[in-house]
Amino acid sequence: MNPWRESRVRRLGQRLAQGLLDRTHLGRDLLVLFALTGWALAVPHYGSDFVVSMALTCLMYVALATSWALFCGTTRYLSLATAAFFGIGAYTSALFIDSLGWWPVIAAGAGVAALVAVVMGSAVLHLRGTYFAVLTFGMTELIRHAVTYWEKQVTGTVGRVLTVVPERDTIYLTVLALAVLAVAVSIVVRRTRFGLGLMGIGADEQRAQTLGVNTRLAKIGGFALTAAFAGAVGAAMSVRWTYIDPATVFSPFIGFQTVLIALIGGIATLWGPLIAAVVFSLLAETLRLQAPQAYLMTLGLLLILCVLYLPGGLASLRWSTFGQWREDTRAWWRELRRDKRRDEARENAT
Amino acid sequence: MNGHPQLEARGVTVRFGGLTAVDGVSAAFAAGELVGIIGPNGAGKTTFFNALSGVVAPTAGDLYAHGRRLTGAGPHRYAAQGIARTFQTPRVFGELSVAANIDFGLQFAGRHRKSSWLLKDEDSILHLIGLSAQARLPAAAVTPSQQRLLEIGMALATRPRLLLLDEVAAGLTEAEVDSMAQLIRRLRDELDLTVIWIEHAVTTLLRYVERVIVLHQGRKIADGTPAEVVRNAEVVEAYLGDEVAA
Repeated sequence: MNPWRESRVRRLGQRLAQGLLDRTHLGRDLLVLFALTGWALAVPHYGSDFVVSMALTCLMYVALATSWALFCGTTRYLSLATAAFFGIGAYTSALFIDSLGWWPVIAAGAGVAALVAVVMGSAVLHLRGTYFAVLTFGMTELIRHAVTYWEKQVTGTVGRVLTVVPERDTIYLTVLALAVLAVAVSIVVRRTRFGLGLMGIGADEQRAQTLGVNTRLAKIGGFALTAAFAGAVGAAMSVRWTYIDPATVFSPFIGFQTVLIALIGGIATLWGPLIAAVVFSLLAETLRLQAPQAYLMTLGLLLILCVLYLPGGLASLRWSTFGQWREDTRAWWRELRRDKRRDEARENAT
Repeated sequence: MNGHPQLEARGVTVRFGGLTAVDGVSAAFAAGELVGIIGPNGAGKTTFFNALSGVVAPTAGDLYAHGRRLTGAGPHRYAAQGIARTFQTPRVFGELSVAANIDFGLQFAGRHRKSSWLLKDEDSILHLIGLSAQARLPAAAVTPSQQRLLEIGMALATRPRLLLLDEVAAGLTEAEVDSMAQLIRRLRDELDLTVIWIEHAVTTLLRYVERVIVLHQGRKIADGTPAEVVRNAEVVEAYLGDEVAA
């Protein structure tokens, strides 16, 4: 066998191993998703109203944070516009639920939000970093005030009551479907050329361009995809709240919380945003009522700790991470004692 | 090749505010040419390269690939036209494996382009640039000179017709420069690739190329064979004086 042939065979073997590895990952991801879905499906059957409402909040943030990370995490374009798309979805739902029916209204919320994202993205996606973040935030505020103004002029009041409301379980299943869809789309996108392009944009946008990625198209597409999810979730949740006004559905807190969840969970990971969304919603429900300040403080503290000690997010936590922390702490402690001893020795000398 | 040059610059000017980095440079590059671009620091070599690869849009002038006007198009359009480039400091995707870095170009600009067996797939490109053994390592973990080879490999993965090399020999040892030059020659000979090569070390470059363009303060002051260029009075005065005399 000539060496050229031989090395080809060896490489073929390596590639096969790699392919299998990927496939087991895919299997694992789908299995986890399947199990979580089954579990979440069962919640309305045995849970109290309180539990279901908590699970609903969980799922809402799972959908928001996972879809946010899908674009913003991979490309590192930190968007604060989630609230804008959420609110647009909520208003679409409020305006058309009587005439369209349930599923079309969810689709319409997603569609309108995606459309706005395409326009907004075309305007601001050439900016990076802080400029992009600040502008998306500014545009969210602009949309909120525009809607407030329009409501005052046209309807005379600010705020809308939704009268025709589907059952609790319908809303729950819809948001669950959106959350599952968000994770499923993330799993798929990570394995496509589109996902590879987004990753390239995040790593080195100009390099990706020179290798043939149409970055403008990829960015606008990714941004619209994220927005569609936020819009659909907004459309579903507005019905849950039965009364909406611009201050609640365009609340910047929705955008910030989504970003925080994704950051703490790990923006570049698949499961990070989901894990953090669950942790957050539980924290929110248990702490917000008894100690609202403690809730915000915990949030801030968790973010600081994550940024300092776990930059990859909760999903990057491994057993070895704990070992590393222990090593670091011991080294720090040893240094502290050495410094102290040296100081004492110096004091004795003088 | 419909008689048009692979790439043609007509009066390309690039201005940054008040500074004119490239000033009305015209040049045409035919298939299979191995061209060097030299010039003192700040002569506008890299800016000219950025214009040739679409990274910077020219303030004035036009760019044509195979007679098709590309002025103002994004870098991905240049890549789709078979124009590939490397960067002065290697810009590889550090977290991805060496093989995945090659795969990136194959997935995008190189996707629908036919190619010779030399650039058939990931493995053949790795073999060509001599990084087969490092294929599974993360790109950030290989040595700087290997990263430079990987840069070339990434550019080759777009299956180009023209390759822009920005100081690929900088910081390499004499032997490494020699094998780099051999690789470039081989690419040109076997793929009929047009190669445009910028190098700061003039004497190195003059040994390997067949045509030299000299830039000085953004303007083209000479264009010819290395032997012609080193005798050009303007070039000698601008730049080469000491180095060639020595």
